Amino acid sequence: MNETVDTRDSLLARVRDPADREAWQEFVAVYWPVAYRLARRAGLQDADAQDLAQQTLLAVSQAVERWERREPGVRFRGWLRTIARNAILNALTRAPRDRARGGSSGVEILAARPGRDERLTESLELERRREMFRYAARQVEHEVDAATWEIFRRTTTLGQSCERAAKEMGKSVGAVYAARSRVMKRLRQRVVELDSGELEGESPMNGPAGEESR
Amino acid sequence: MTAPRMACSHESLERFLDASATPEEESQLTVHLDGCPSCREALSRSAAGDLEWNDVKVWLTDDELDHAADVSRPGGSLEIFERRHPDETALVLSSLAPTDDPHSLGRLGTYEIVGVVGRGGFGVVLKAHDRALNRFVAIKVLAPHLAASASARRRFAREAQAAAAVVHENVVAIHAVSEREGPPYLVMEYVRGESLQRRIDRVGPFGTAEILRVGHQVAAGLAAAHAQGLVHRDVKPANILLEEGVERLKLTDFGLARAADDASLTRTGAVSGTPQYMSPEQARGESIDARSDLFSLGSALYAMAAGRPPFRAETSLAVLRRITDEQARPLQEIVPELPDWLAALIAKLHAKEANARFDSAADVARVFGDCLAHLQDPAKTPLPEEASRLVAKRRRALFDRKQMLAIIGGASVLLVSGAIAFATVAALNAPGHEEGSAESSSMNENVPKLVGGTATEPLSHQDADDWGDVDAESLESIRNDVDRLEAESVRLFDRP
Repeated sequence: MNETVDTRDSLLARVRDPADREAWQEFVAVYWPVAYRLARRAGLQDADAQDLAQQTLLAVSQAVERWERREPGVRFRGWLRTIARNAILNALTRAPRDRARGGSSGVEILAARPGRDERLTESLELERRREMFRYAARQVEHEVDAATWEIFRRTTTLGQSCERAAKEMGKSVGAVYAARSRVMKRLRQRVVELDSGELEGESPMNGPAGEESR
Repeated sequence: MTAPRMACSHESLERFLDASATPEEESQLTVHLDGCPSCREALSRSAAGDLEWNDVKVWLTDDELDHAADVSRPGGSLEIFERRHPDETALVLSSLAPTDDPHSLGRLGTYEIVGVVGRGGFGVVLKAHDRALNRFVAIKVLAPHLAASASARRRFAREAQAAAAVVHENVVAIHAVSEREGPPYLVMEYVRGESLQRRIDRVGPFGTAEILRVGHQVAAGLAAAHAQGLVHRDVKPANILLEEGVERLKLTDFGLARAADDASLTRTGAVSGTPQYMSPEQARGESIDARSDLFSLGSALYAMAAGRPPFRAETSLAVLRRITDEQARPLQEIVPELPDWLAALIAKLHAKEANARFDSAADVARVFGDCLAHLQDPAKTPLPEEASRLVAKRRRALFDRKQMLAIIGGASVLLVSGAIAFATVAALNAPGHEEGSAESSSMNENVPKLVGGTATEPLSHQDADDWGDVDAESLESIRNDVDRLEAESVRLFDRP
């Protein structure tokens, strides 16, 4: 059996509004890894975690078909996010019974403790933010010139000091500070934009600022 | 640096960050930053707080999970159905030990490999000669990329143990399991002949007797497996080997089979199984039991009758959707000459709700066997009661169900609201059905829901198809806080 399938496209075909389609693409790019990573952290093996992520997308895609813009206040993004969050939580809290024995113990304990839902929700939000930033970063990377991005990369993920990056790249220290701060600002703005489908009144945890407690 | 000094200005820093500063301002500021650590600090803080700088550093760094699933690829890794391993067969063959037998491709343990049979869910199937017993065997070798994973090895061993415990004439026998050096492998009985899948592709739709023979034997094999607590999970024509035509067949590749109570591994079905023959519960990734195999058997028999599987679509995901959401096209629309009762039996196997299928594979085997006896000698052997009852029920169901509920609903209104409702009831009653024995179990299930309802509620409830209930159920399990969006999603899930 050689099923060659692009899940993204097949799911996308169901979303008819072009604006919603974009939201859906973002959604898949962000939520597949969120579901996968949470599942792995919950002790599932790679294949099982991939299944869980796939099932989550499937569940959400079923809901998407029934999505209608009924009330102006409810945006597709926000709606999608709620459905996805529920689908993931649902899948994960159902998971312990199905989980491989001898899996990573820490999370099993976590799962067995009361209040695990809060913790899970918290991890989900963290993973979601992480994926949002990664998604935004892929976009911003293409919007700035290569040197600027390289400065940002060196001084963040590679952990170089601005001074060293300046020296190695033949830039002034001021230019390095300027470049990395600009990219950061832009990145954050992009994440806010991605998040802007939210309704007002969501918990502060989901807010765009990022300095909230964790 | 001799550039003109510029005064520290937070406002200009902000403009700079927003890229709304003029080019002149920009170059001035860049120079200023070179000599002004406090402005550099201020600029960084203005872009993001310390915490967020740190988060972003961590988040944008790939961790082991990103590497594990390759999810960090731009756009996200989404080809989750497409885990292809192209040179697997070559890899397995190249790992064989050398041999002095000119007819052999190489040696695996004591077996001389003489050919490649195909690829299964977990690896490569080879044809081999067992020198000691002078017989041919099929050897299933765990794919090398899987053999590297301890959990896959464990699963493979489980599969082998489980399958080896099933001894039945309609199940391919497991001779041996080896886990020594190299990829683990499984030695099975070699079945000469072709798979049901190939036969369907080659010859096309089957006749009634052949469908019954296959249904009977596969169900018998499944019953033996189920008796061991084993669910096959991957019943499909490609796993049904025809030894001597349809007279004798063997069910193979318990590739996904696991002890049903071994819940630890039940989650994996979805991707590894062939979507077209999956049960709805498998497609949804829910836990499954023996009745899941019955649905898959229904799909296989459907394919025999129609020449094509019941749920087809361009993509795996769309197939899954069809399995969960849609009824297969009635067989008799495709094959008008198919007997009513056979279509009804297959439809019963195909019930979306596991409860509505047969109780067990043993029941299916018996009913199909009895039907075969009837077909061969209609004068002496009557059609089994199960089959004739199904036909009657199906005929009634289409027309009767709504009317009956209308009557029951109407009756309750009658009791409560008297004369005004009477006209409604009279109208609903027009087709003039008596209340009947309500032998249909699906009706009995519905009755309690209607008691105490109004005339319109049961009717509108009835208008929603069966899947409305599933949505409601999955919704119920969605836990949530007091979230406005959540309330919205509740409504969105419900069919209008």
